[in-house]
Amino acid sequence: MTWPARAWRSTTGLVSMVTLAFVLLALAMGRIAYDVTHEALERQLDHRIAAETAALLVEARDGGRAGIAQAVQRRLASRATASLDYLLVDDAGRTLAGNLQARVPPVGYEEFLLYHTAQDGRDRIAQALTTRVDGGMLVVAADRADLYEIDRTLTTLIFTVTTLMLLAGVTGAILIGWVTRRRLARIDSTAQAIIAGDLSRRIRRDGSDSEFDRLAGTLNEMLNRIATLMDNVRQVSTDIAHDLRTPLTRLSHQLERASNATGPEDSQAQLAAARTEAANLLDLFAALLRIAEVEGMSERLARARLDFTALVLQMADTYRPAMEEDGRLFQVDVQHGVEVEGDKRLLSQMIANLLDNALRHTPNETAVSLTLQATAADAILIVADKGPGVGAEEAPHLFQRFTRTERSRSTPGHGLGLAMVATVASAHGGAARISCLQPFAVCISLPRSARREIARKVPDNL
Amino acid sequence: MRILLIEDDLQTSRYITDGLAAAGHDVTVGCDGPTGLAQARTGGFDAIVLDRMLPGLDGLALVQTLRAAGNTTPVLMLTAIGGIADRVDGLDAGADDYLVKPFAMPELAARIHALGRRPAPRALEHRLAVGDIELDLLRRTVSRAGQRIVLQPREFALLAELMRHAGRVMTRTMLLERVWDFDFDPRTNIVETHVSRLRTKLNDGFTNDPITTVRGAGYVFNP
Repeated sequence: MTWPARAWRSTTGLVSMVTLAFVLLALAMGRIAYDVTHEALERQLDHRIAAETAALLVEARDGGRAGIAQAVQRRLASRATASLDYLLVDDAGRTLAGNLQARVPPVGYEEFLLYHTAQDGRDRIAQALTTRVDGGMLVVAADRADLYEIDRTLTTLIFTVTTLMLLAGVTGAILIGWVTRRRLARIDSTAQAIIAGDLSRRIRRDGSDSEFDRLAGTLNEMLNRIATLMDNVRQVSTDIAHDLRTPLTRLSHQLERASNATGPEDSQAQLAAARTEAANLLDLFAALLRIAEVEGMSERLARARLDFTALVLQMADTYRPAMEEDGRLFQVDVQHGVEVEGDKRLLSQMIANLLDNALRHTPNETAVSLTLQATAADAILIVADKGPGVGAEEAPHLFQRFTRTERSRSTPGHGLGLAMVATVASAHGGAARISCLQPFAVCISLPRSARREIARKVPDNL
Repeated sequence: MRILLIEDDLQTSRYITDGLAAAGHDVTVGCDGPTGLAQARTGGFDAIVLDRMLPGLDGLALVQTLRAAGNTTPVLMLTAIGGIADRVDGLDAGADDYLVKPFAMPELAARIHALGRRPAPRALEHRLAVGDIELDLLRRTVSRAGQRIVLQPREFALLAELMRHAGRVMTRTMLLERVWDFDFDPRTNIVETHVSRLRTKLNDGFTNDPITTVRGAGYVFNP
């Protein structure tokens, strides 16, 4: 990258370049102001000497050359016009009157007339008007010293101002650069801390709602989101490890006892227990993998238009014997003709998991109800039971993996049933939520016709 | 039965071979796809047990090649956990049954047994009769010794499945797949509760139970 491009990218460089442009502009404007002023002053001097010449001629109208000489003498005596000097010569060039000591310029305006006066004899420059009069020449001159003084003042002023501008600009550029770097350093130091492993760090905000503050807010939100996802991943892996440790330890103990068994019967019993334990572990893995698989396939789900009413009724029939065996009242209230698009087996599993939950986590003889309604857009499936519900603090975690609530703690299971329910629902573009805590009710909504914006429905629970 | 096992994992292969040999089958092992295909083509097997993931030629392609060549030996395909679409793919390719690893030996034995003596499909047959029980698939009626028995749809489907395979063990998973179309195992014992109901209805007024529970394996409809 060349240096102007590099300077353009840094704040200091950018502000410096802008300052330089302003200074150059100020210089150009100063120059114009100087020229205009200078020109105006010169014209004013011309005007003065012309007016004075005319006045002298009027005063001496009748007196001829001698009249003019008298008028000049009178002017000089009164010094009424201090900055004007006069010279009246005859045709031979002899001075008749006046204090101006110079060669007589040709008739007309003379811009730079070198002269000196009788008072101090210093060389001066004047602007002069030479007029032919009867038998001689009249020269009226105005000293340019005042003009030069104004020119000098103007020049000093312009250069002082632009120098100050340049100084202020460069200082400003350095200052702005420093402030910007300091503000970015806040973001940078947070990022460095996060790279170093402190994921809880966030960028400090000053509440000013400035662009930097807003950027900090956005970055913080992004960091929060990432942290949540990472917490979930960490939680899931910790849970998996934790959930596996207990059964694996039990399995190991059972195998150990089997190898130390006193008799074949004892050995058989221990081995059978070990097999059950291993089967449980495999179930857990299968369930986890299935959730992961369904999560990954929402875009390429086997979608067929299916009679959801019939499926729900079939599932109700399937579970009715188990419900009635436990002395439960199983109420099924299903709206007819509700269709959805989806994978029949996955939807079966979703309903099965909900009914399994109701059966397993409530005491015998607890009433369970299964309701299917349709709104304009969605099929709404509600599975409710009259058993002990869940606490409000447990509700947010119900659809996450390995969640065991108070009501499920006493029964065997992995805490994956509702996670699978939520996963299947969102894979179909729908959603699962707890519609009631006590008594417990889960509500599933599935779109009645396939929507295409499924991809945005990424569940928060991993 | 003469069974060809095509499986590349030695431990799995030994486990299956031992289990099937113990059940009285004669097992030949093929270790990779091309070898397995060559062995399958020589024929003479009553059933093929095929791993889906094989070196050289995968299970799906092997079945397709075999079927394209007109070989109709029943094939049971094995696959690792996962793969919701795998089962459909396997059956579409021409496999007759599909089993997810890991599985229990009785499950595999029951499925091979069911495969080996799979009756030729008889489209016109709509009546099943085993012992004193008759089932009409068209009219969806059941009677025992001429006495009408009213069954729920799932109970009817369950009885039909058991009667179709009378004399052979039907495992829980086989029944879940075929009667309920479930590719998962619900935590509620829905098969048990349905068999229990079916028994109650069938045996009302009779002393002998046509359905026998095989512990650790499944159910058999007694011929």
